[in-house]
Amino acid sequence: MSKKLLHKTQQVYLVFSVAIFIVVAPLFYFFSQKFYIENTDETLILYKTEFIQNSISKLKENDIAVWNSYNTRTQIQESIGLKTDSLFYTTYFNQVEQENEPYRELNSPIRIQGKLYTFSARVNLVESEDLMTSIALLFFILILLMLLGLFIITKKLSLSLWKPFYKTLRQIEDFEINKKSQPQFSATKIEEFNRLNKSIENLIQKNIVIYENQREFVENAAHELQTPIAVFKAKIDTLINRSDVTQGQSGILSSIIKSIARLDRLNKNLLFLSKIDKNQFSETHTFSIKELIENQLDFFTEQAKQKNIKIKTNLKGVCSINSNIGLTEILISNLFLNAIRHNVKNGEGEVNISLSEQKLEITNTGSLEELSQKKLFNRFSKSNSSEQGNGLGLAIIKKIADLNNWEISYSFSDNLHFFSVRF
Amino acid sequence: MKLLLIEDEAELAKSIQEYLNVNDFVCEWVSNFSEAINKISIYNYDCILLDLMLPDGNGFDILTELKKQNKTDGVIIISAKETLESRIEGFNLGADDYLTKPFHLSELLVRIQALIRRKQFNGNNKIVFNEIEIDILSKVVTVNDEIIDITKKEIDLLLYLIGNQKRVLSKAAIAEHLSGDMADMLDNHDFVYAHIKNLKKKLRNSQCGDYIKTVYGLGYKWQNE
Repeated sequence: MSKKLLHKTQQVYLVFSVAIFIVVAPLFYFFSQKFYIENTDETLILYKTEFIQNSISKLKENDIAVWNSYNTRTQIQESIGLKTDSLFYTTYFNQVEQENEPYRELNSPIRIQGKLYTFSARVNLVESEDLMTSIALLFFILILLMLLGLFIITKKLSLSLWKPFYKTLRQIEDFEINKKSQPQFSATKIEEFNRLNKSIENLIQKNIVIYENQREFVENAAHELQTPIAVFKAKIDTLINRSDVTQGQSGILSSIIKSIARLDRLNKNLLFLSKIDKNQFSETHTFSIKELIENQLDFFTEQAKQKNIKIKTNLKGVCSINSNIGLTEILISNLFLNAIRHNVKNGEGEVNISLSEQKLEITNTGSLEELSQKKLFNRFSKSNSSEQGNGLGLAIIKKIADLNNWEISYSFSDNLHFFSVRF
Repeated sequence: MKLLLIEDEAELAKSIQEYLNVNDFVCEWVSNFSEAINKISIYNYDCILLDLMLPDGNGFDILTELKKQNKTDGVIIISAKETLESRIEGFNLGADDYLTKPFHLSELLVRIQALIRRKQFNGNNKIVFNEIEIDILSKVVTVNDEIIDITKKEIDLLLYLIGNQKRVLSKAAIAEHLSGDMADMLDNHDFVYAHIKNLKKKLRNSQCGDYIKTVYGLGYKWQNE
């Protein structure tokens, strides 16, 4: 699945930030805790040193109880048999808060008037927990702010940096080789984009030239063929009028006549396609599709009769449009003839025409298989090579629809072929 | 009737000449611009068949020249060039008809006949063949002085057949004539048979001679019995 470039960048940033946060947060906590405890231990040792330096020489054995009652953080207790200083964690019950609180405590052996006592000093660690929480919160906010900043900056930066890119992209998306308008890329300050624009411009230019050559080739070829076909046709017309044509020869002549008619048609249709490409049908009028269909209906009914096909019409809308009348006529008659041509051979055939305000739909019976959507509108794509059609009808329909930005679609259901044009 | 054919393609010109000379037409042929200019300034023609692309000039200039000399010769442009612009320009310069190559000779013949009719009879347009009388303007056909019920298309077919009498007309040629602009899309010419059958029936019902002959494998022919 493809994502937008910006989202991709932001996603990477997000993953990176979260990873950093996950790795750094415990480390940060661990080290802060470690430094804090080290600090506390130093404080406790300092208490002891101060006590030994300032108080121990003045303190009498009888005063110990008094000393203890005035000092809460340091206490002198009966010796518990320590030989060296001992630092450890412990908890005491806090009368005010009514809960156990963590402490760091130093027990140290001292001598008062020669007798062995234990000096104990302690520091409440609740403060340190509060501190930790505050620091963690601060850290979290910092990361969040950084992330947010990063997001906004990337977004703003990307939008402005990639602006020429999106502009180019939009122009390429709008580009159609058979339309006259070419994309105009404006110069940007970024070298890569200039290079991109330059190469796309070259590419488009080359393709237009190739397309033009091809179009011209088809046009010229078809055009040049007109005269030999004209000679051919004229000679055949002369030949069939000769009195010495035998029955055997007339059979051959008959198939030549059919082929030349087909060749003629094919060539005219090719010429017609290239004429549409050359935009020779730019004149437009406002007219009604309904009227157009009604005008042509007699002709098609006549054609349909040959194959015993029934034509049913349901012209609800008038469907007034603005376009080239000639082209629209050709589009509709091609659709009609298509529905008749590819219908079932003997009886039971049906063509339904329905018209609403925006949409013309032609339904016909025919082969029991769905046509290939992909190739349907290509030139010379025929579902069955033995068919009479020249394979240009639907290509012409598509071309006319494209020219007018009409939507043409095909579907197949209940053994019926649906062709619809949305005007 | 005098016709001038201005056409650079010799083979096509020969066939056209051959086809037209059977009628009471005299068809002269020139293959280039300068010869054409010579001819039109010396003679008057009932109809000029004009190809637009000539080796030494443009067919449109011949039309201009005709106008300059105040000639009223009828002109049918026969050209492989088929654009709206060339059509409009042709008609603006005084051409009477425009036939795109390739065409059937029979089509060319009925176009010439129609043009000459328009030029000569000034509206009184009646075609008579034995007991059949066709009024082209009012679209009325009478056989033995009795009006017959006939469709526009059948009149068209009748005119085409009579115009090309004694010639074999292929089904393709008849189909192209009858379907007009639609011809380029039609690949089935079977409908011609239905039209011929209907026309034959209508004529037979009014005691008309059986002039429409079927030429085996090739098409149809209008022939006086």
